[in-house]
Amino acid sequence: MSNNIQKIKKKKQEWEEKVLKPALESFGLKESPTKFYTPIDAQGFDFLSKVGFPGEYPFTAGIYAAQPGMPVPRVGRATTQRRSRPEAARLVRAAGYSGYGTAEDTRDYYKELQERGDRGGPNLAFDLPTQCGYDSDNPLIRGDVGKVGVTVDTLRDFEIIYEPFQGETELDRIASNFTINAPANIIIAMYFALAEKRGIPLEKLRATPQNDILKEFVARGTYIFPPGPSMRMFRDSLVFLNEYCPRINITSAGGYHIRGAGATREQDLAFSMAILIAYLQEGVNAGLDVDSFAPRFTINQFGGSMEMFKEIAFHRASRRMYARIVKEKFGAKNERSMLLRGGRMGAHIGCENTTIQRPLNNLTRSVIGAVASALSGGEGTAYPPYDEPLVMGRGLESSQLARDATRIVHYEAKLGTVRDPLAGSYYVESLTDEIEEAAWKELDKIEAMGGAVAAIENGYMQREVAKSAHARQRRIESGEDLMVGVNCFVGEHELELEINHLVPPVYDPVRREQAEEKQIRNLTELKKNRDNRAVAKLLKELKDKANKEDENLIPHFIECAKAYVSEQEMCDVLREVFGEYEPVSL
Amino acid sequence: MNEEKKIRVLIAKPGLDGHDRGAKVIALGLRDEGMETIYTGLRQTPETIVQSAIQEDVDVIGLSCLSGAHKYLFPRVVELLKEQEIADILVIGGGIIPKEDIPFLKEKGISEIFVQGTMVGEIADYIREHVRTVGHQSAANS
Repeated sequence: MSNNIQKIKKKKQEWEEKVLKPALESFGLKESPTKFYTPIDAQGFDFLSKVGFPGEYPFTAGIYAAQPGMPVPRVGRATTQRRSRPEAARLVRAAGYSGYGTAEDTRDYYKELQERGDRGGPNLAFDLPTQCGYDSDNPLIRGDVGKVGVTVDTLRDFEIIYEPFQGETELDRIASNFTINAPANIIIAMYFALAEKRGIPLEKLRATPQNDILKEFVARGTYIFPPGPSMRMFRDSLVFLNEYCPRINITSAGGYHIRGAGATREQDLAFSMAILIAYLQEGVNAGLDVDSFAPRFTINQFGGSMEMFKEIAFHRASRRMYARIVKEKFGAKNERSMLLRGGRMGAHIGCENTTIQRPLNNLTRSVIGAVASALSGGEGTAYPPYDEPLVMGRGLESSQLARDATRIVHYEAKLGTVRDPLAGSYYVESLTDEIEEAAWKELDKIEAMGGAVAAIENGYMQREVAKSAHARQRRIESGEDLMVGVNCFVGEHELELEINHLVPPVYDPVRREQAEEKQIRNLTELKKNRDNRAVAKLLKELKDKANKEDENLIPHFIECAKAYVSEQEMCDVLREVFGEYEPVSL
Repeated sequence: MNEEKKIRVLIAKPGLDGHDRGAKVIALGLRDEGMETIYTGLRQTPETIVQSAIQEDVDVIGLSCLSGAHKYLFPRVVELLKEQEIADILVIGGGIIPKEDIPFLKEKGISEIFVQGTMVGEIADYIREHVRTVGHQSAANS
């Protein structure tokens, strides 16, 4: 073997001298603009330990042995079978991320989807007041009610949102997703209260709350309490869900928000792993066997950049690194615990790489992401839709184009037919190693600080991400990093292509505009008519329980939800006990 | 000796939106451009922003919002400045602002809206050109 490497090294030297150098000279170049990888770059590559078979440790080639991928399409004209229904008992996955305005607005939106044949469970986007623990009637948050998602103040809102989900789409037959973090336990409790009222046992519920609070301090920003008490809330959810809700995922963590906030690839990977370690440790500290809960950790998304090969390598490295952490650091025995599960999307370009300038170019970009996705073990998903940077509430045309791009990558280009097709590539294997090594180095640094919580409390992660974002902007301004139509190819003979919408926006703009006033009226009415003595008593009990560090607050949140205690009322009590997070300065 | 007072800019995040990559990048970028920048952090109300602007004696307020609440929040800042009879602070904004909202915001007194893809250098040039130097001096003397 090493004899062979010696031979290649010698040959490479000759090639550089006799072939490459004269070629560069003829172009007037000192350095080659292109690279070529050889076995020299993948020395010591051991297939079984570094890659292995799909569905086997260390899962570099994929977390499952085979990927069913996308469903077999119905062939033929659209009109013939569009509404044919799958068998009634089949579990229906959560739909696309959606929700706006008041509960009524979102209910009607889901009704429309159902009329069009969509049977997905709600994948709820909440508005910012809900995500930050404020009620709609709080004057401090004016302007934000119902904007980026549906507003939820009390159980009443859940009751309304879920009106279309009955019978064939009853709660035990659908899966719901909740993009909620700081007040995740309160929102889950509202869902439990709804199930209880409908007579559905908790163990039959299927859902995925995002419940990834630590990344909120680094990116996205919907924190409420300081990191310490936030981890207690996380522990409560982990322990409760583990005991009573075998079909609810505990968290849907992932680094793509951190990347979107500016982190480099290595920071994204290291910070996400540090955060996952903190969550796993919380379960272990609660006295649970890691294999009892880790299989219900899921991944939202990782990564995101235009550099296709690096993103593919990044996903391979992520799977391997997580498996190693869970196995070696936590001593897991069950292989299911080691899966970076749920990242069906695989590699993608990241929303931050879409441009408002010549927005159709974003379709080209997302197709590159779809290819990267398919080659990285994902489903060839083209993401995001091209109008991502233009609007809130994506257009139906752009969603159709994104779905079609995914289908073309899968069915026409047939990129989904081979698992980990770049395994063994000198380039991709060396990149995978390089990214993983750099991430381990950064992770060790964070662990030495005391782990993710400490590295957030002292502001390390936040400052590093801001620094990286700043560095990227400087590279864009200097032209070192190029974005077509933004900092290059913007001459006067370039066409500034505009887009038109043929189909009206998915969310009714008038209802969206009126949501705040309407919700304030609804909530005022509700607060007047509920049993306010019971509410006061429950809130007092909440305070007592919150003061006891060992107490799991979820059962009490359920009681509060049933009495229509509002989200902010519960959060305010917790704010008093836990304090509020004070962000670090730049 | 350069006696010229540096332009002071308050970069502010009104509302609950937590996407502050842009705000931070601009705060750091304008610093590179020789300005003094103060970043408010997240979750400011229009009231706290105007208060900070007065306290910090800034020449410019840069508002950033990606949540869709700009149509309420940005004009509210201008309104509060007017109520306090402050006419010498330049108010600019950015974020995910649909094109059709820009005329409305300008009508409400936001001088310019910078969308994604804008170079910090352009923003700096705009500020230098439009900052109300006269008012700036009087503010410094007050």
